[in-house]
Amino acid sequence: MLSPKRVKFRKRFKGRTKGLATRGNEVSFGHYGLKALEPGWVSNRQIEAARVALTRHIKRGGKVWIRIFPDKPITKKPAETRMGKGKGSPEGWVAVVKPGRVMFELEGVTPEIGKKAMALAAAKIGVKSKFVTREEAHTDAS
Amino acid sequence: MAVVSFNATARDISGKGAARSLRRQGQVPAVIYGHGRDPLSLSLNARDLDKMLGHIQAESTVIEVTVGGQTAKTLIREIQRHPIKRQILHVDFQALVAGEKVTVNIPIVLNGIPEGVRLEGGVLDQTLRELEIEVDPSDIPDHAELDVTNMVIGDSLHVSDIKLPASVKVLDDPETSVAVLAAPRAVIEETPAVEAVEGAAEGVAEPEVIGKGPGDEEEGEIGGESPGKKGGESPGKK
Repeated sequence: MLSPKRVKFRKRFKGRTKGLATRGNEVSFGHYGLKALEPGWVSNRQIEAARVALTRHIKRGGKVWIRIFPDKPITKKPAETRMGKGKGSPEGWVAVVKPGRVMFELEGVTPEIGKKAMALAAAKIGVKSKFVTREEAHTDAS
Repeated sequence: MAVVSFNATARDISGKGAARSLRRQGQVPAVIYGHGRDPLSLSLNARDLDKMLGHIQAESTVIEVTVGGQTAKTLIREIQRHPIKRQILHVDFQALVAGEKVTVNIPIVLNGIPEGVRLEGGVLDQTLRELEIEVDPSDIPDHAELDVTNMVIGDSLHVSDIKLPASVKVLDDPETSVAVLAAPRAVIEETPAVEAVEGAAEGVAEPEVIGKGPGDEEEGEIGGESPGKKGGESPGKK
């Protein structure tokens, strides 16, 4: 599973996600992409589950790119603990995703397989998303 | 090389609010700039612009922009789009100067299905999708073609394999690879991935903390000790 090798601080504030993705909002490597439509956190487990779903569906052909990285530590307090006494201990990692962010890309498969694979991956991710293609990025202006 | 005409109107308002009000009225803010001329702010009809962009190769087509009776030959340098709606937010036109060459990116089109894909199930990976060229505006090719039908697994094609007219100077490194035909992924690859998901559910491996100051150490200790203490005490108290 994806996680940073070294971090400057063990714990981080929750923060608020504002605005749209101004970077990483185009299909840049593959031919198909999965674009986030709402802000949210995507955990490294979700990313791994989506990656497995993608690679299983495309079987032997195709190539997958993961365009997000879970670099934000998430903490959790143990069960049945009273409030206070400091922040909980790190329990996982998430990627902060803004609307418009292309999270996964795919190449080397037919449009039908690509679309189905992305739908399977989208079901593993906790943010609303849509299937996009490279052509769409250059022509569709609706 | 294709040439299309487009009508635009000069605008004297600028800024975020003005641009937004233009977009609400079905217009798209734009700018025209070039060597030896002052930049001019424009507004374009959004519907006409969509129609035009639907049937041209935006980056390599010369567009004759008419503003107030004056026509200028231009190239589209940038199209800004909304990250989700894909609606056009702004367009940059670069005015062309007669006799001056321009640097443009043209798309690379791969022709045919490689032998390695047809017979051996390989995966064709296009690593370079646009080619940077220096050319006279009147000679801009629509795209660069590359025949991939003879590729077998392990082959790669480079920028030097692309054939273009003599008037076109390629700026990309000739050794840059354009297409690589890779072997199909082994099915074994799936198994460790599944194990990784299952194994990781047990615990979170903590990464090395760098640049740890004296203040951070205290914080770390509190975070580590408190849950254990509390977990033990609270049920007893009740």
